[in-house]
Amino acid sequence: MAILELKKVKKTFGSGHKQVDALKETNFTADIGELIAVIGPSGSGKSTFLTIAGGLQNPTSGDIFINEQNLSDFNEKKRSKIRLKEIGFILQASNLVPFLTVDNQMKLLDNVKKDNMSKAELEKLYDDLGIRDLRKKYPADLSGGERQRVAIAKALYSKPSILLADEPTASLDSDRAYEVMELLRKETKSNKTTTIVVTHDVRLIEYCDKVYKMTDGVLKLEEKQAVLEKKSS
Amino acid sequence: MFLAWNEIKKNKLRFSLIIGVLMLVSYLVFFLSGLATGLASLNRESVDKWDATAIILSEESDKSLPQSSITTDEVDHIDGKETAILAQLNAIATNGDTKQNISLFGIDKEERIMPKVTEGKEFSKENEVIASDALKEEGFAIGDKLELSSSDEKLTIVGFTNSARFNGAPVLYSELSTFQHVKFGEAAEANGDKINGIVVYGENVSSISTSNEDLEVIEIETFIENLPGYTEQALTLNFMIYFLFGISSVIVAIFLYVLTVQKISMFGVMKAQGISNGYLSRSVIAQTFLLAFIGVTVGFVLTLTTGTFLPSAVPVAFDIPTMIFYGVVLTVVAILGAVFSVLTIVRIDPLKAIGG
Ligand SMILES: Nc1ncnc2c1ncn2[C@@H]1O[C@H](COP(=O)(O)OP(=O)(O)O)[C@@H](O)[C@H]1O
Ligand SMILES: [Mg+2]
Repeated sequence: MAILELKKVKKTFGSGHKQVDALKETNFTADIGELIAVIGPSGSGKSTFLTIAGGLQNPTSGDIFINEQNLSDFNEKKRSKIRLKEIGFILQASNLVPFLTVDNQMKLLDNVKKDNMSKAELEKLYDDLGIRDLRKKYPADLSGGERQRVAIAKALYSKPSILLADEPTASLDSDRAYEVMELLRKETKSNKTTTIVVTHDVRLIEYCDKVYKMTDGVLKLEEKQAVLEKKSS
Repeated sequence: MFLAWNEIKKNKLRFSLIIGVLMLVSYLVFFLSGLATGLASLNRESVDKWDATAIILSEESDKSLPQSSITTDEVDHIDGKETAILAQLNAIATNGDTKQNISLFGIDKEERIMPKVTEGKEFSKENEVIASDALKEEGFAIGDKLELSSSDEKLTIVGFTNSARFNGAPVLYSELSTFQHVKFGEAAEANGDKINGIVVYGENVSSISTSNEDLEVIEIETFIENLPGYTEQALTLNFMIYFLFGISSVIVAIFLYVLTVQKISMFGVMKAQGISNGYLSRSVIAQTFLLAFIGVTVGFVLTLTTGTFLPSAVPVAFDIPTMIFYGVVLTVVAILGAVFSVLTIVRIDPLKAIGG
């Protein structure tokens, strides 16, 4: 079942000869439980695609459906509510609140939203991500990899139907990057979320179900094996 | 509260600074208000003690008790209200050791203006007076014989009463006949009916009138405001207090604004997550409230503590309801200062915070 759908979505910035077609007309569907990679060079439109899909900016034209709700029907306040309920973001740099402990990062969500993970579910998540011992620590006391694992926990804690990750491994060395991707795969499958990972690191697509390539604002489904082979040759 | 409190806990030094500044400002405000109250009561406490509605003075005295001269029979021209006659003069009194400015009241002991004696007894014979206990602190005692600057009469203190200063000077109360002797000496008999004013007790000032056109009915509060220096003093101190309200609002505004600007990307990330402007704004307001509340409370306690160590010569008097009111105002203006930060938060574009 499609949890996220983009229909004829286009995004242009500026006008006249300064016009940039950041995203050319795009149709896209993601199903429950899928881990999707979007690769492509810098400036090709990956972030634009992801932020539009997550309701953070409006497309120039076209419609986005999240859980069958058309985002164009809503104002920013309502879209913000949908983000809170349906979407988890994981960003390149840590998106943790500096003055909250790991436990309190989760508690913050309890303050703004119901139906988050239960205590038992959170304990399991901590174990899965190997961050149980970090729960009383502040972000500044964590390593980059630990921070990113906490960010994943935070994104999953609200039980989103869609997880959007923009270069989640960019600040990590490759061992840590693989680790994070493995965790994302595991959580996507066990929590039945839909995860889209934007990355320019082709090696990471190994963990994904589908691979899309973005070139100059054009999104195209690729054969995973072909991309990997092309890379190694 | 959750975000607000956790941030304060994590950044104790940073927030102690703003609490410290708010504490100092509130300390200053409370102290100035104490000074205002103290100086005011120095001027008015004996008038408040009358607990009267109005005072009747001669029109040409321009609301000044010492300048007013009327006669006791004017009482008959006042419409059916309880009255008390009052004669007043300023002098310097000495008991041989200490010299002190005083205000002598000549009254009728049987009328309501007669103060309650807190120590000693009421005057009953010629030249006996009861004195403001402010004089006791200056070293005067029961039995002291007082020489007055303007008279050959010697007055004897037979008792004390509390809260009795008039326009800055401690009051001596005496029978009108004693007063006449002090004021007119040999000519006392001839001037036996001369007084300065008549204090009137009624429901409200509009119910009081006199048929004599040369007299003026003055509401007590108006009379107090016209005491020499009273209004000027109050205005100056109040102006300083209002100024401090403005200053604390600006300090809080700047401080919180700087903190908020530092946290723009953090707020942006939270907004991207879907945390509402309302929640974040409430959190900033709650934080300001906490900071102001702590600062003001510490300032309050500090003021009262300092107050107990002050020598009695310092004219401060802490009126708790006024202080609480000022504390609330300080908290409210601090919260007004947080409005800039709220506007900043509302304007943050989550997309920019997330970056590409
Ligand atoms: N807010 C914006 N205003 C103008 N141009 C933008 C804006 N955001 C992105 N672009 C342009 O759109 C194109 C795609 O950017 P982006 O989606 O960030 O690429 P990627 O994430 O793949 O590096 C780039 O040419 C970029 O300069
Ligand atoms: Mg990008």
